[in-house]
Amino acid sequence: MPYWYYDKKDLQNTPSFRDGINNDTENRYRKEGARFIIDTGSKMDLGYNTVATGVVYFHRFYMFHSFRTFPRYITACCCLFLAGKVEETPKKCKDIIKVAKSLLNEEKFNTFGEDPKEEVMTLERILLQTIKFDLQVEHPYSYLLKYAKCLKGDKTKLQKMVQMAWTFVNDSLCTTLCLQWEPEVIAVALMFLAGKLSKFEVVDWNGRAPKHNAWWDMFVEDITMELLEDICHQVLDLYSIQTQPSGGESPPLPPAPKPPKNEKKPPVTPPISASPAAPAKTPVKNGAEFYPYAPPPVAYTAPPPRLPPPPRLPMGLVYDAPPARFVASVPPPPLVPPPFLRARSPASSPPILSAAVIAIHCSDCVKVFSLCELRVTKPGRSQSFY
Amino acid sequence: MQGVSAPREQAPPVISTSSTILNMREKEKYIEDFDFPFCDESSKYEKVAKIGQGTFGEVFKARARNSSKKFVAMKKVLMDNEKEGFPITALREIKILQLLKHENVVNLIEICRTKATLHNKYRSTFYLVFDFCEHDLAGLLSNVNVKFSLGEIKKVMQQLLNGLYYIHSNKILHRDMKAANVLITKNGILKLADFGLARAFSVAKSGQANKYTNRVVTLWYRPPELLLGDRNYGPPVDMWGAGCIMAEMWTRSPIMQGPTEQQQLILISQLCGSCTPDVWPGVESLDLYNKLELPKGQKRKVKERLKHYVKDPYGCDLLDKLLQLDPAKRFDADTALNHDFFWTDPMPCDLGSMLAQHTQSMFEYLAPPRRPGHLRHHHHAPAQPKPPQDSTYQDRVF
Ligand SMILES: Nc1ncnc2c1ncn2[C@@H]1O[C@H](COP(=O)(O)OP(=O)(O)OP(=O)(O)O)[C@@H](O)[C@H]1O
Ligand SMILES: [Mg+2]
Repeated sequence: MPYWYYDKKDLQNTPSFRDGINNDTENRYRKEGARFIIDTGSKMDLGYNTVATGVVYFHRFYMFHSFRTFPRYITACCCLFLAGKVEETPKKCKDIIKVAKSLLNEEKFNTFGEDPKEEVMTLERILLQTIKFDLQVEHPYSYLLKYAKCLKGDKTKLQKMVQMAWTFVNDSLCTTLCLQWEPEVIAVALMFLAGKLSKFEVVDWNGRAPKHNAWWDMFVEDITMELLEDICHQVLDLYSIQTQPSGGESPPLPPAPKPPKNEKKPPVTPPISASPAAPAKTPVKNGAEFYPYAPPPVAYTAPPPRLPPPPRLPMGLVYDAPPARFVASVPPPPLVPPPFLRARSPASSPPILSAAVIAIHCSDCVKVFSLCELRVTKPGRSQSFY
Repeated sequence: MQGVSAPREQAPPVISTSSTILNMREKEKYIEDFDFPFCDESSKYEKVAKIGQGTFGEVFKARARNSSKKFVAMKKVLMDNEKEGFPITALREIKILQLLKHENVVNLIEICRTKATLHNKYRSTFYLVFDFCEHDLAGLLSNVNVKFSLGEIKKVMQQLLNGLYYIHSNKILHRDMKAANVLITKNGILKLADFGLARAFSVAKSGQANKYTNRVVTLWYRPPELLLGDRNYGPPVDMWGAGCIMAEMWTRSPIMQGPTEQQQLILISQLCGSCTPDVWPGVESLDLYNKLELPKGQKRKVKERLKHYVKDPYGCDLLDKLLQLDPAKRFDADTALNHDFFWTDPMPCDLGSMLAQHTQSMFEYLAPPRRPGHLRHHHHAPAQPKPPQDSTYQDRVF
């Protein structure tokens, strides 16, 4: 039985490390690979489960092979390709490669070799053997929703907390948390973090028993505050301003995808360099509102995050109603994950930035809420294979 | 200004990729030498005989090299013409088999690989490795020397329904029920096999129908709703197959062997009556209901025609409940298991001692073709096919 969880010592002594790649560099490679899977997946309308599954394959793969043997971007493509099939949202290999090419600069795309598709085909077999054909992977998302159903309190606040937690889960894919803890534990920790940041204190929940000190005691036994904080810090570290090693093959960020043609631009697009004043509201099709960008936090010196492209709504798909039981207890969850917000920033600034990052820099919790107001869009319905 | 511009290119840290990344030769060597900890080489087994040929690969009987007593079945994953890499059908089968662990479901032990070498262009071949079962039901039924008593037939059906109850509870549809996909060990334990067409199903939410393909299930075992184009089907498709297999326990060959989909529907109507909104509310809204010419005015004759084979009235009654045209009226596995058939004398009894009289494996692949004729209309006992010669079966073996 493979056991996919490692302690911190194992995570330092990886094949890449033994191959002369230091931990910081490896972590950056992991982050870049994960982010690339997220970007490629989002651009192809793949759902959050497919994307997350691909990322987990990616992290597991590099517990057995070095980044020197297998360059990260082609592995990332291969992981997404396999995840697409496993999650019943298959994409053609050549289409994935096409998108990858559009997201990578030439130097990086050259690591795909002479015949990228053939490379992916060969790599897929290596990937499958490496991950023991352990295809089915669970993610924290479903647990977030499950836990949220039980929590009592102001529904709007609760929903916002869940949405913020959801964003943290997205970002956690760029860490090695999925190699350390089960999805349940990550879900608890990041919901805890979101609760803190959104100043939503959960005081009561369905199924509360006298022995429960906190809501999560109901779902995960023996979780310590230390552990919760450790997990939160691993995610928060993503947002801290780090100076990247200027040498190495530190790659420029992939160009942000252009807004899809079939989507109208938001009617009001404030200049990106606008002051951190109230962000423009942009209506989207289903009536939900979202804030297309967030004001730059004070502490953050880099240019503000760039307007993320509006989500491409799959045409003609039916809106998936949330499970009835959920509606009864809390307002609709972010059915579709809040979009993976992209930040455009020079390489010296954090490569990952999401709504959450701003939340952390904001002391005003009202603002925090508004920043986390995320779109509820039509879910990318998984394509039936047939 | 910022934001719209391309990402700021910092002083490009140009590093030739060849110095950081292995070159082709190094990589090939790496792949060849890498000892995948979770995926053993198929050479740990020694092929004994080919026992099956399916759409997606050959099946071999093999012996574990480290123990001469341990036999396995190895199903090769056919990847030659795959434009999209490892076939999604095989991925499904693996995913589902990993999920299902039950006495009446075939057990997937592991997945093995051949070593990647220059000869296979560094691409391994994969095998699904299963616990070996000595027989499949099609093989057993085609051998007239194998005789099932009523109690033994009950045991077969009880195990088959148990397996179906388990997989349906786990929200899996088998979608290829037929005698060749039902395995039986020499000890008489039945295992559902071949999840190559299986998939997970969800109970359709109101107003949102599922859209599954209806091009599943071997024609002779395909239920009327699939033949009529239903794409929002569920567990009853497997229950129809269970009914066909149950009847076959007595008739010894598939009861409805239509050469085409249209013909299959006609055969079904001749046995189960015409498909009308009277007996099957909602049938009129199925895609092909108006497009196909369906036999009209056929009377239901399930019991009448099967009673010549199935002398047990409870057996006849259960068959009648499984071969219901309307999937909503068809018994589910649970209800079927509660039927008096299983709770009246003779009670289900072990197959072990009956099977002990046969020392060679019986598989459909190795058996002579079964009698082509299907369920007869006349009342005489069916003509028996010529007893196959034992030598056509795989010799000796467990
Ligand atoms: N575990 C096993 N032990 C013994 N025989 C087996 C086993 N698994 C399969 N077989 C034999 O091999 C035959 C084919 O296997 P299986 O049905 O799994 O594949 P298939 O027929 O190729 O798949 P498909 O029906 O999707 O084409 C079976 O009918 C059976 O006779
Ligand atoms: Mg088969």
